[in-house]
Amino acid sequence: MDVVHSRRLVAGVLGGLVGAAIVGVLPSGETLSPFALALAGIACGGIFAALLGTRALGPGSSLVWALGYGFLVWIVCCAFVSLGGHSDDLRMPMIDVVRSRFALLVAIVLASVVVGISVGFAALDERLEARRFHFARAVCAGGFAGVFGGWAFGKWMEQAGFFPLIAGLVRSDSVSVGVSLHFTIAIVIGASFGLLFQREISGLGSSLTWGAAYGIVWWFAGALTFLPLLLGKEPDLTYTHAAALFGSLVGHIVYGLIVGLLYAMVDGTWLWLFERSDPLNRAAEGSGTIALSSLWRGGLASVVGALLFSIVMLQTGTLTRVAQIAHGTTIFEGFVVHLVIAAIIGASYGVLFHYEVLDDLSAAGWGAVYGLIWWFLGPLTLFPILIGGSFTWTTAAADAQLPSLIGHLIYGIALGLVFRDLERRHLARLFVDERLKRRWMRRQRPIGTPAPALWLFFLGTGVVLPIILG
Amino acid sequence: MRTSSVGDSILTCAALAIPAWSVITLIVAPLLGGHPPAWTATGMRAAFPALVGWILSGGVVGAALPALVALRMRRKPVAAPASEPAAEPTRVVIVGGGFAGMTTALQLEAGLGSDQSVSITLVSEANALLFTPMLAEVAGSSIEPTHISSPLRTSLRRTKVVRARVNGVDLEQRRIELRAYDGETEPRYLDYDHLVLALGAVSNFFGQENIRRVAMDFKSLTDAIRIRNHVIALFDRADRESNDAARRRLLTFVVAGGGFAGVELAGALNDFARGMLIDYPSLDDAEVRVIVVHARERVLPELSPSLARYALSRMSERGVEFRLNTRVADATSTAVMLDPAEEIASHTLVWTAGTAPNPLLEKLGVGRDKRGAVIVEGSMAIAGHAGVWALGDCAAIPDVISGGTYPPTAQHALREAAALARNLISSIRQQPLTNFTFRSLGALCVIGHQTACAEIREPLTGRKILFSGVFAWLMWRAIYLSKLPGFERKVRVLVDWVTELFFPRDTVQTIEQPWT
Repeated sequence: MDVVHSRRLVAGVLGGLVGAAIVGVLPSGETLSPFALALAGIACGGIFAALLGTRALGPGSSLVWALGYGFLVWIVCCAFVSLGGHSDDLRMPMIDVVRSRFALLVAIVLASVVVGISVGFAALDERLEARRFHFARAVCAGGFAGVFGGWAFGKWMEQAGFFPLIAGLVRSDSVSVGVSLHFTIAIVIGASFGLLFQREISGLGSSLTWGAAYGIVWWFAGALTFLPLLLGKEPDLTYTHAAALFGSLVGHIVYGLIVGLLYAMVDGTWLWLFERSDPLNRAAEGSGTIALSSLWRGGLASVVGALLFSIVMLQTGTLTRVAQIAHGTTIFEGFVVHLVIAAIIGASYGVLFHYEVLDDLSAAGWGAVYGLIWWFLGPLTLFPILIGGSFTWTTAAADAQLPSLIGHLIYGIALGLVFRDLERRHLARLFVDERLKRRWMRRQRPIGTPAPALWLFFLGTGVVLPIILG
Repeated sequence: MRTSSVGDSILTCAALAIPAWSVITLIVAPLLGGHPPAWTATGMRAAFPALVGWILSGGVVGAALPALVALRMRRKPVAAPASEPAAEPTRVVIVGGGFAGMTTALQLEAGLGSDQSVSITLVSEANALLFTPMLAEVAGSSIEPTHISSPLRTSLRRTKVVRARVNGVDLEQRRIELRAYDGETEPRYLDYDHLVLALGAVSNFFGQENIRRVAMDFKSLTDAIRIRNHVIALFDRADRESNDAARRRLLTFVVAGGGFAGVELAGALNDFARGMLIDYPSLDDAEVRVIVVHARERVLPELSPSLARYALSRMSERGVEFRLNTRVADATSTAVMLDPAEEIASHTLVWTAGTAPNPLLEKLGVGRDKRGAVIVEGSMAIAGHAGVWALGDCAAIPDVISGGTYPPTAQHALREAAALARNLISSIRQQPLTNFTFRSLGALCVIGHQTACAEIREPLTGRKILFSGVFAWLMWRAIYLSKLPGFERKVRVLVDWVTELFFPRDTVQTIEQPWT
């Protein structure tokens, strides 16, 4: 066993212990003895370090691996409790068992953060040489992205009257103090995103999704845990309280999406200006041509998904509502508007994800994730605004849009798979020349990045939370 | 399965189990049971245990998958990919890097995909495809010269590009002879299984040696650059010339030929020359003459008479002179002699009055028509010579609709290339060939600043719709910009056009002219 692996293992075990302490300290509803909890923490941390520690290129990737792993551990716990737990649990429907274990999810996510970051730092030296890290760029670009993310999130906080609550952190109830604090926190979290993920970001699409996952983490850590603690209250980790903060969850996701996208754009612009514009590194086709052809292929790839999604919309009667975006009333008008929107989203998928997709599995994974992102951005956020109303980030609104969630997942997967097929045909011709293949591969997301963990965590929480909190 | 560890596999399968749950448990299973989909909030909550089950099952499948894949690989080694190159690939050699040759290569690349059992080689004298419809704009300094040329090596991804002039073709030995470079003593040879002749055309001076020696050609990028620099140089000389007659001679430009090339060049030169006068205060507008000499009774014989009249009228208004029913009889370095008798004092004669197929075709020993083009079948194969094809300006392709042959235009060459590539692939794969058929979509011609003539054929009825003026000019720009190969070139030309709207045309001389 080499030194780095031992270090990762030790970090995993220690992180697991700290995570177990978090589970024990928080009102997670866990009835295990401290010793059993410590053993469970050591086991979980150790298994994580052994199984996935080699994939931890740095704290960012390790954090994402740990989140995916943590979500799976929580699902296993729920299944275990539901099938072989207390007699009370056995009598309850599983949805209620899961709801009763919501606090455990919060605790596990926080424990995953500790385990992931500690294993990531333990693994850092090994890979540090391979990936250059610019501290100032990470902080500046992340902070810059945080401002815009904070602005979008602030719209909901203003609507929900949340700013005075934030101001309570400094013993104030002034809205302007709350706004200032909110933006400060948004900038700090944005900068931390840059610090954690700069080494990992290879494209806009993955950064966008990492941002969303990071936003969810901060909902668990910030809104549910640290905010009440800092206000001198005990955190309320029941699902009913979390349901009351569902708007904050969507706000965190939207914040994360903006931070992820803007960070990657700023970071990517830097790389493009000073590294990728170098004739020795340029893609054979040129970035302008690649972006345009990706736009075209993405738009084309959206057709299949849009048609499948339209069946869901037809069944649920939402096509006439979609027609209202263009001041229409008929199903046909709604269908046309839907196709146009689907094509635009498909085109954006092409630009964002063309370097991310490695095979059919990753195509389905990224596609599903992108579909889910647009469920949060579309029916929950932009659609009400486009028809002249205001966004409603409530569990009731989410409940009404759950059929649309399924439609978005189907659309996303179809989009991802068809785009992959179109891309594969195009690249087959290009890759006859080995030199072009090598240049393309240099830019493509390498195997072994934490994309699978990201898919599980984002798809898992993104689908499960609206169901159990409603 | 490219995920490379158990951890990856577990998490990937667990993640993808979520959409699988949404499709199978919530939609497919209820529908199969005769129930509506369970995608409502109540339905999804009721189906929540299945979601947990799907995620856990996904994790288990993911844990087992790498082992199963490894087992399968051990039992059944991966077969060699189907697209692995054969020991002896079929060799396709295309001669000519113009529209016809380049498009054939591109279409072959698209049609063959990753199939490496066929090798493609393109032999070209130039290293770039010249977009000739915009050549007049280069001569008129509207567009930077290189912006209308696409490098062959950048555009073609799997085709081997050989920069050379072809000396001869041995149809028996199935090989072509490349002319020796400086320093080489022996010519090089290139063997082929399929040969595509896309040699294009050359200027035809009809045996007039004096004209050939004096006149400037207008076929290549170098020709356009040379004309532009020549005009600038003559303006500079005229600026310091005190003799009125000598100055007028310097500022008189004769274009022989009133077809598309001649008229577009005359329009562009007229705009360029008269626009440049602002920088030469000592020169007068009346001293600048641009004269089109045309052997027929009307210019632009390819277009309808009304459009030809419109072009003549608009260009005359802008200062272009026309000599119709007139031929260039002779030329010296200082004068152009016309028939009927007239002598125009000028240092500039640009020849666009005739073309002929590449002289290399004479050596081939295959049937040729009156124009000198190779006679081919409807599939563009040359009868009696298996695997030899011809297209573009150098081929006489039978038009079954008109009974004649297709005209030598870029529009036809592009379509012929696509059809030939399909036939060539069919021939390699021993599939039946199809005959080439195409009806011209119309023609467009720019005659001056923001003025053009357009004749568009209605696809269903074949009726011609005529356009002129600014709208036709916008059509010309939109259509040819879309046809210009390569996105990057489109952007560059678009930037040139926008720049020209706000800034004066560039009059920097890029080729040094002799001070005579």
